[in-house]
Amino acid sequence: MPETALQAWAGQDQALTALENALAAADADHAEVFVAARTGNHTRFAGERVHQPQTIIECQVMARAVAGTGSARVAVSSLAGARDAVAAASDMARRRDGAGGGRPHGVAGPGGISGAAGLWHDTTLAWDAGARSALAGRIMDAARSAGVSAAGVLTAAITELAVVTSAGQRCYAAATEAGFSLTARAGEASSYTADLGRDVSVLSVEERAETAVSQAAATGNPVPVPDGVHDVVFGGLATAELIGFLPEFGFTGSAVAAGIGLAATRPGAVLAPAGITVADDATAGAGLPFPFDFEGTPKQRVELIAAGHVGGAFSDLASAMATGGHSTGHAHIARESSPAPEAANLIMTPGTASEADLIAGVERGLYIQRLWYNRLVDAEAGTVVGTSRDGCFLIEDGKLSAGLRTGRFTESVLGALARTDGIGSRLISLPVPNVWNGCASAPAIRVRGFRFGSRPGKV
Amino acid sequence: MSEQVPHAAHEDLGPAHRWGDLAGGLATAGPLLDDAVGAAAAGGASYADVRLSEAQELRLYAVSGGAPDERIEGSLGLGVRVLVDGVWGFASRPMRDAADAVAAARDALRNARAAAVGSRERVTLPPRAAECGLYQTTAAVDPFAVGDAVRERVVAGALAAAAATAGVVQAQAGVNAKRSHRYFASTEGSRQEQHFVESGGMVLAIAAEGSATQRRSYPNSFFGNTAAAGWEYVEGLQLPEQAGRVGAEAVQLLTAPVADSGTADIVIGPAQLALQIHESTGHALELDRILGDEANFAGRSFIGPDAVGRLQYGSAAVNVVADATVPGTRGSFMFDDEGTRTLRTMLVTEGVITNFLSSRDSAARIGAESTASARSDGWGFLPLCFATNVFLEPGTGSTDDLLDRMGSGYYLDDNRSWSIDDQRLNFQFGTEAAWEVRKGKRTRLLRNFSYGGITPQFWGSLEAVAGPADFRTFGMPCGKGEPKEWGFLSHGAAPALFRGVRIGVA
Repeated sequence: MPETALQAWAGQDQALTALENALAAADADHAEVFVAARTGNHTRFAGERVHQPQTIIECQVMARAVAGTGSARVAVSSLAGARDAVAAASDMARRRDGAGGGRPHGVAGPGGISGAAGLWHDTTLAWDAGARSALAGRIMDAARSAGVSAAGVLTAAITELAVVTSAGQRCYAAATEAGFSLTARAGEASSYTADLGRDVSVLSVEERAETAVSQAAATGNPVPVPDGVHDVVFGGLATAELIGFLPEFGFTGSAVAAGIGLAATRPGAVLAPAGITVADDATAGAGLPFPFDFEGTPKQRVELIAAGHVGGAFSDLASAMATGGHSTGHAHIARESSPAPEAANLIMTPGTASEADLIAGVERGLYIQRLWYNRLVDAEAGTVVGTSRDGCFLIEDGKLSAGLRTGRFTESVLGALARTDGIGSRLISLPVPNVWNGCASAPAIRVRGFRFGSRPGKV
Repeated sequence: MSEQVPHAAHEDLGPAHRWGDLAGGLATAGPLLDDAVGAAAAGGASYADVRLSEAQELRLYAVSGGAPDERIEGSLGLGVRVLVDGVWGFASRPMRDAADAVAAARDALRNARAAAVGSRERVTLPPRAAECGLYQTTAAVDPFAVGDAVRERVVAGALAAAAATAGVVQAQAGVNAKRSHRYFASTEGSRQEQHFVESGGMVLAIAAEGSATQRRSYPNSFFGNTAAAGWEYVEGLQLPEQAGRVGAEAVQLLTAPVADSGTADIVIGPAQLALQIHESTGHALELDRILGDEANFAGRSFIGPDAVGRLQYGSAAVNVVADATVPGTRGSFMFDDEGTRTLRTMLVTEGVITNFLSSRDSAARIGAESTASARSDGWGFLPLCFATNVFLEPGTGSTDDLLDRMGSGYYLDDNRSWSIDDQRLNFQFGTEAAWEVRKGKRTRLLRNFSYGGITPQFWGSLEAVAGPADFRTFGMPCGKGEPKEWGFLSHGAAPALFRGVRIGVA
């Protein structure tokens, strides 16, 4: 293995041995401890330089202990501190025993984990700093030759997770990750491409970068997005942004427990055409599959929208206890946030149409490649505010025509899905920020009637 | 992890800073810094800097009906940045032992050499003299020394009060404390140590009826509020006392009317104005963004690198300052994360752009001096241009004076949704709450209020800002970079009157 190749930070044997030894320090009714590590190599470039080539190694060891009605977590950044973390969590949990609050959940039992598909790819390991930098240079050179500026990032990473619990669960998995994104810009005209997966060899990075550069170069001065209701073809990245809001509409176990949202208030209701299925599926080949969560619970496929109908909710041990169900393996704990179930590999089931077919079915409308700064406005209506960004075009007579400037929308994601009449065949994936190993994957979709513009109105 | 006072805690540190493995000052951290700097220099770096940091966060958060989330998270690691033949390289890793300092330097050198293959431009970093110094947050009461029962009392009290109004289906309350030791060294001879303590808290109520839901929060909707201070800050928030109002307002919002859309005069409260400043002023003035470094993700800016002294950004009432020397917030420090000593910098003076939020790299590219805005997410990430303490300077008079001056319109505060385009030009924000104002007095509560505009037009409509007595600061996290990192910063403002703003949404 060359010196520049990616290497796992923790490693299976070291991780499991350290966690098992640490768990022996537990003085509690239940205890669990996990290590989540990530070695990320990133080649970031803009204009004429690779300005931010980085190797970032992150490691968190987190112990949780339950003593009577008390529970607590302690985290450190090295396996060497795991035993102290377990002991400290036990001490804190015992101090909390008898304090206020609800009853804490237990820990995951043994087994039940089957391998997720295609976690490890040597091709991604071999995509080292030299290869990525050389590719960045070729992209910037090609862009310059075409009168275009290019900015982007090329990433190769290894993600590891190991969990050991006092109830006998013991698991470790490691996965490679490759991703890229590129913005090509000629004046105010732009194009954009991005994708993410376990295997760099299927991402066709250079080919897609060339296409983006060519598209930006060929686009004249962009025009404003016309205010009004349009037939819109959303590219896969934009569709993935939209479906990323679905969990916020009430598909978490905690929302169900509180009686809030779609899964609690409208189970089985028709939301969209029968061709639309959106699931969180960490066992699938697309996106960033991973076999279990931070609690050591095997991940299950959960359909949020099942053939157009309101589906089920995903859960962790705490929300499963609150609803009387079982965890679907979606435990998550984010920085500066309380633990909550989280979708980690959302996938919209692809259809059969090519993107060109979807565009051909629009006489006059919009092609939206990329959305930006989207925020929830109204969970009840599924309303989201955001803007279009790079690589967006008018559609005229079934073909892309003029490029578009940024346009604002305030629209219902649920409404857009309900008005979808075409689904593309190719999945594209993008990372979900602030979610560990988070990813959303979607094909292009065609929506009949989606409003852009800042015309005043009411929610 | 180390909860005990280390044997080598140095005498200059206050009690709240005497914790962990790196409380011994440069006597403890110096050898590790020297190892990394030395390895980088020996490996061919013309410039290198090292950040070594130890951090801890304590949280007690509770949701009604659920088991509380009590946790302590710690980390210890370092990041090494090198410049080799005019090309940057960076590497970071958790610290297990001294060998990691040298290993991080080696990785950074390797990245720089690899990047040279793809880079056509080379960096010229103007040299500077060494800067040394010690900084520490003032904390009257060490928040980590506060007893479990005290934290529990605040959180349980707030939770109960927030949930007391019928119609509240979920309440959340929490308190947090953070502390860190941060050391910096460079090949230019700088050796710096900074020791921080933060404390914060929040309460949130969610009301529901049928499928309708509304939320209300305090002291800010964005993760509550966190200050560079001790437990005294949390006590001052009076969370249990405020929580009843929060719950009651959440329920009132369920049946509150919606404002007519159109154009109106508005007074924006300090919490919402803090986010407005963050999105449309702070981000727009980040020089790395202006120069295109962030074009692929965080975006560009409508402000060009030639804007200083030329671009009319807002009305004459717009005076914006970046001032990390102001104590007590998440943007308070002595040195930024590439060792530049901070100073008070006017960013907008009487509506005209007068400076940027810049780093050494970005400032050098326009022939300027860094404004000490290179900040990073702990030891793990590269310093980028982030806001520090970016404040709208207060005017005169009270908020009531401002409402009286407005006459009819709306008073709004506490963000509910926020969106702005990648050039920081076209924005739309929603607030948790708004009140109709008639004859200078707040009247009925309104739900789902939103407003939008184009940044320079919006700031051009600023007529007046209330005085210092109503000025508030809010600490908040901010995401930027690839991979995405968090910057921790603060914005402050007194309520401000804007004329003729678009309200309501499409």
